[in-house]
Amino acid sequence: MLVAVLLPFIIAIFIPFLSKWKEKIHTGFFVTIVPVLIFIYFARFLGAGFEPVVHEYSWIPSLDMNMVFHLDGLSLLFVLLISGIGALVAFYSVFYLHKSEQLGHFYVYFLIFMGSMLGVVLSDNVFALYSFWEFTSLSSFLLIGFWNYKKESRYGALKSMLITVFGGLSLLGALIFMSVLTNTSSIRGMIDQQQLILNSEFFPLILVLLLLGAFTKSAQFPFHIWLPDAMEAPTPVSAYLHSATMVKAGIYLVARYSPMLSANEWFFIIVSMAGIITLCWGSYMAVRQTDLKGILAFSTISQLGMIMAMLGFGTKAAIFGAVFHILNHATFKGSLFMVAGIVDHEAGTRDIRKLGGLMTFMPMTATLALFGSFSMAGVPLPFLNGFYSKEMFFESSLHLEAASTGIAGILQTSVPYLAVFGSIFTFVYSMYFFFGTFRGQSHLNELPKKPHEAPIGMLISPIVLVAGVVIIGLFPSVINEPFIAHAAEAVKGAALEEKHIYFWHGFIPPFIMSLTVLVFGSILALSRKVWAPVYNVVPGVLSMNKVYDGTVDRVERYSTTITKGYMNGSLGRYVRLILAAIIVISFAFMAITGGFTLDTSNVAEITAPEILVAVTMVIAAIGTALTNNRIAAILILGVVGYGLSMLFVLYRAPDLALTQLIVETVTVALFLLVFYHLPKLRKKEEPVSTKALNLVISVGFGALMTMVAISSHSSKFFESISDYFTKNSYKLGGGDNIVNVILVDFRGLDTLFEIVVLGIAAMAIYGLIRFRKNKEEE
Amino acid sequence: MSNLAVLPILLPLLAGIFLAFIHKKTKLVRTLSKAFAIINLLVVGWIFMQVRDNGNIVLEMGSWDAPFGIVLVADLLAMTLVLTTNIIAVASVFFAPQSLSKKEESFYFYTFFFMLISGVSGAFLTGDLFNLFVFFEVLLMASYGLIVLGNGKAQLRESIKYVLINLFSSMLFVTTIAFLYSVVGTVNMAQAAQRVQEVDQQGILTTIAILFFFVFATKAAVFPLYYWLPRPYISPNPVVSALFGALLTKVGVYSILRTFTLIFNHEVELTHTLFIYLAALTMIFGVVGALSTNNIKLIVAYNIIPAVGFMLMGIGIFTEVSITGTIYYLVHDMVIKGALFILVGATAYVAGTSDLRKMGGLIHHYPVLGWLMFLASLVLAGIPPFSGFIGKLLLLRGGLGEEEIFIVIIALISSLLILFSMIRIFIRGYWGEKMDIPVPDREKKGKRMAIPAAGLLTVSILLGVGAEWFFPTIETIAQYIMDPELYIDSVLKE
Amino acid sequence: MEIIMAVLAGILFTMGVYNLLQKQLLRIIIGTGLISHGAHLFILTMGELKTGAPPVLTEGVENYTDPLPQALILTSIVISFGVTSLLLVLAYRAAKINGTDNMEQLRGNDYE
Repeated sequence: MLVAVLLPFIIAIFIPFLSKWKEKIHTGFFVTIVPVLIFIYFARFLGAGFEPVVHEYSWIPSLDMNMVFHLDGLSLLFVLLISGIGALVAFYSVFYLHKSEQLGHFYVYFLIFMGSMLGVVLSDNVFALYSFWEFTSLSSFLLIGFWNYKKESRYGALKSMLITVFGGLSLLGALIFMSVLTNTSSIRGMIDQQQLILNSEFFPLILVLLLLGAFTKSAQFPFHIWLPDAMEAPTPVSAYLHSATMVKAGIYLVARYSPMLSANEWFFIIVSMAGIITLCWGSYMAVRQTDLKGILAFSTISQLGMIMAMLGFGTKAAIFGAVFHILNHATFKGSLFMVAGIVDHEAGTRDIRKLGGLMTFMPMTATLALFGSFSMAGVPLPFLNGFYSKEMFFESSLHLEAASTGIAGILQTSVPYLAVFGSIFTFVYSMYFFFGTFRGQSHLNELPKKPHEAPIGMLISPIVLVAGVVIIGLFPSVINEPFIAHAAEAVKGAALEEKHIYFWHGFIPPFIMSLTVLVFGSILALSRKVWAPVYNVVPGVLSMNKVYDGTVDRVERYSTTITKGYMNGSLGRYVRLILAAIIVISFAFMAITGGFTLDTSNVAEITAPEILVAVTMVIAAIGTALTNNRIAAILILGVVGYGLSMLFVLYRAPDLALTQLIVETVTVALFLLVFYHLPKLRKKEEPVSTKALNLVISVGFGALMTMVAISSHSSKFFESISDYFTKNSYKLGGGDNIVNVILVDFRGLDTLFEIVVLGIAAMAIYGLIRFRKNKEEE
Repeated sequence: MSNLAVLPILLPLLAGIFLAFIHKKTKLVRTLSKAFAIINLLVVGWIFMQVRDNGNIVLEMGSWDAPFGIVLVADLLAMTLVLTTNIIAVASVFFAPQSLSKKEESFYFYTFFFMLISGVSGAFLTGDLFNLFVFFEVLLMASYGLIVLGNGKAQLRESIKYVLINLFSSMLFVTTIAFLYSVVGTVNMAQAAQRVQEVDQQGILTTIAILFFFVFATKAAVFPLYYWLPRPYISPNPVVSALFGALLTKVGVYSILRTFTLIFNHEVELTHTLFIYLAALTMIFGVVGALSTNNIKLIVAYNIIPAVGFMLMGIGIFTEVSITGTIYYLVHDMVIKGALFILVGATAYVAGTSDLRKMGGLIHHYPVLGWLMFLASLVLAGIPPFSGFIGKLLLLRGGLGEEEIFIVIIALISSLLILFSMIRIFIRGYWGEKMDIPVPDREKKGKRMAIPAAGLLTVSILLGVGAEWFFPTIETIAQYIMDPELYIDSVLKE
Repeated sequence: MEIIMAVLAGILFTMGVYNLLQKQLLRIIIGTGLISHGAHLFILTMGELKTGAPPVLTEGVENYTDPLPQALILTSIVISFGVTSLLLVLAYRAAKINGTDNMEQLRGNDYE
């Protein structure tokens, strides 16, 4: 199984070489083989007696990150969708993408996506799942940006990446949290120990994080906004990633975890509500679109909402319907996207306002579109699979198991009405899509190309999908027992009693709901022009796009404002901020830990010479700040330095005194040398407030250091190691001058590197003075 | 055997001195530098394996018993970081000739370079606080030499700020060492640890600890002490930026890690909680900075800061898992920052500008650079299965294990924003319509610049995908670090 | 006495920082000079002052002042000297090339 998942990645490595011959053989042919092989591999598992299979491969066992592939009914459904639709899309793309495009790139992304998506639906290890999850987002990003010379393409790519990666990270948070709680990173392991998670005080957080991940990926309201912009991708990509597979990863995730999460009432509330709102909003917005792919995008959003809602209902019937609809949606929506691609390809535009009456020119395409869109609309005809799952949706919306009080109760009562409402618009946009494109007046002069029927190669894939629509419609039980039932059981986490799918249930409420949809839908579809102005009012207020654009824009703008606010390049400002932080935090710590101590028992006596020197130094130090004369300032600094060497003498440090004297002299000389080239000191023109602030900060810092020094001196807890030096200086070091022995022997390494420092300084100074850029490099 | 511990410091030192004498012969110097860097890497790699298999190598310089003389402690943490440093060094030495002018090379670039490596390695290896100060000065002085190399207008302006801030923090450092010396009567780290433990870090010691933290945090660029960092880092030549970005702040992080796991680990409630808050602020302000600019070099420079936040977070949480995460992240960040600075350097070079608003469509001319940039952005943002993810995963696990929800959420949000800030370079700089190349004659050099970056990225990807090879070692280090007795015993031999 | 010395060193730090916060480069460098003087005085004070003879072994003397801080100060003095020299030359070059020694005018912006 590892080979099956990694196959796309491996082939992806060779694509750049294969694409060298793209003039002779379209690279897509090679690519098509990959999903076909995968499909065949996994199709072997189909059958009524299917049992889940687990294959384990170790990867990073010490981090509990392994490739554990768990193929159960749900995974199998997805795997077959991914490889099956993948093969059809790859084949379709051969005719869609011209050889002059960057085919190599396209197919590399395509294969990376396919492999990652297989990984997502097969991984039992959450970290492996997350890795694959992010890779689907990234490959989607690259595919949307395939035509990155278009501005819209770049916009859409960034948008989809930001939103899906945001969800991904949120998912990561949930996954880590659950793995920490249960001490396993296996999904099955987590579900087995679900009590640990469900009873955790952080459960609400986990639920929200997990659902954020799922909702962003599956384009649930209000995170759906990336999907319409993702339509900038080439149409095969839209058909594959953005309707049949990737967007269902979120659905998959919710389904995967629903045996555990559905135990909590909030799961029902959040998921059903999000699903229903998405269904209604998506279908409502779809009618407003003028771009064929735009209609399909919103339609996908609304269908995903419907599946999500059924998962939220959590009843057996609902789950069965959800799983069934995953498959059905992939078939009819895939074919419709391909149809849209064909129209775009052959007529040169996807703008529905310019299209119309194409049935005459492309009868085959029109027929395919007819089946697809009627199935999508849920028209009650026995050969359309869309009807069956829609019927199940209605049925399950009427039989909810949830509590009847509180929010859940209100939700429960309103669900059937909302379901019908959303479905009416679904019907409307389906009709709009078909009739707007293929029927009615044709405007040939507005089209960039003269429309004609697509080449047969391009038609094969949608034909296969439509055949699927019809076959499932006519013989639903063919796929039921070996396939859908297993998937539904995996989601429910328990065996379902025998479930049969019939076309005719009798004149029961779900069917009445269907008829209502049919009637009102037809009315609205015919009178679309009359009520269309409502769109000028409603979406404007609720437009999540504005929120997104605003957020992204604001993030950048506020970042700039904030950063420019304090990172203004002013050294003084930086030092002030840094010191303020040091002072405040250090004093706080000193206060909390009771750090300040004063112990005068071991201090030396005070003598007059020291005081004299000290007072001179203080006056000199203050003088540096007051004088406006450059030479005076430098000389006063010298006074401080010489004072220091006086102190060294007084405190029995002859070597220091000497060194300090020499260094001070040289430094002052250097200062004088340099000052000659620097501008004169000016009167300080700062406002008083700045001066006061500077004073506060410097006094604060001085005080801090003094207090720490006094406390440190007052708390000598231990004998110093210096005794050792005194005792052994002569015996072991062979010198009388202890300081010198320390420097050259006990701590010789310090001295060696001290010299190195001086050496580097010398070279740096040499470079500073002598280095001149050549004229042409300036 | 124990003399091995000094080699990572001594070899680059000697190389640097030797190269100073022949600095005018650029071609020879180049070849020799590459040879030296590679030899050094091999030697360090060998020592690393010795340490991994046989335990700490403790070298008492001049055979003076610890704690009286200076000790070098080549433990696994130090050697891991030294090894990483040398990997960066090799990549940089190959990048240098593409990036520098001949003249700049002849003004002791390679000497400064090797001195920097020597100083950084010394800082990792030393077991003596004052000696740590000396090595800080070595690496700082070398960095001063590097940052002014070229004498550009903006460069000198930023250099002054850089030198001043570092000078100030050095003075604070040396004073703080004196304070600690007064209280515990030693400058040997192991002995200081022992003595601080004996008195249970009472009285003024925690305040001293905080002063140490500020000293290192200034180097490490922790909020609110990082203001000085971004611009000085981007003003010198890209190869210098790469070295700085990869190595310098990490020395600060290492020092915090070492001192606050070894010496000051008795007031965890106070100090380490502070770290968590500062880590959160560091992440936020760091990414906000990265989003604020259109200068690609500055974007990367700002991205140093949130990474430091991640590492500090691990130290703050202070469990074995989180420390493992910090170390993993430390190694990862050194490698990826090296790669990124090289890449933006190359990008700015081929585009003739570092202003994102003036770029576009570079991918049509420089696909390799573009894809490396894309990959590097993912690695930086911690997308699995690359190296950033492993560290982040551990840090988040550590955080959630301790129920530090707040910092985990901040960390997740900043990951997203890091990705956003980086991907802008790819989208706005590389994607777009094919334009005429702004600076046409740079193709060959631009392509050659990609090689060292590709090398570093390979290391980075290996660190992620092949985490199984590295993780046990890093985990061992974390276990070792969380038990300071091991360090103390190996140094003081009790 | 140590306390007075600690206060003195604290005042040196205070004035050093105050100068550091000024705009003019020369003043700022003077500030760093003061700070390093203060730091060295702190180190000295942290050993015990005047507890014995200068740390040069002499016959008959048992008590010496703490030699270690002195050794550390020596190292530090030399290093500070190196840095200060570099800083001075750097200041000179930077002021010359940029045409000002006012740090507020040396802020710079993103695109240069």
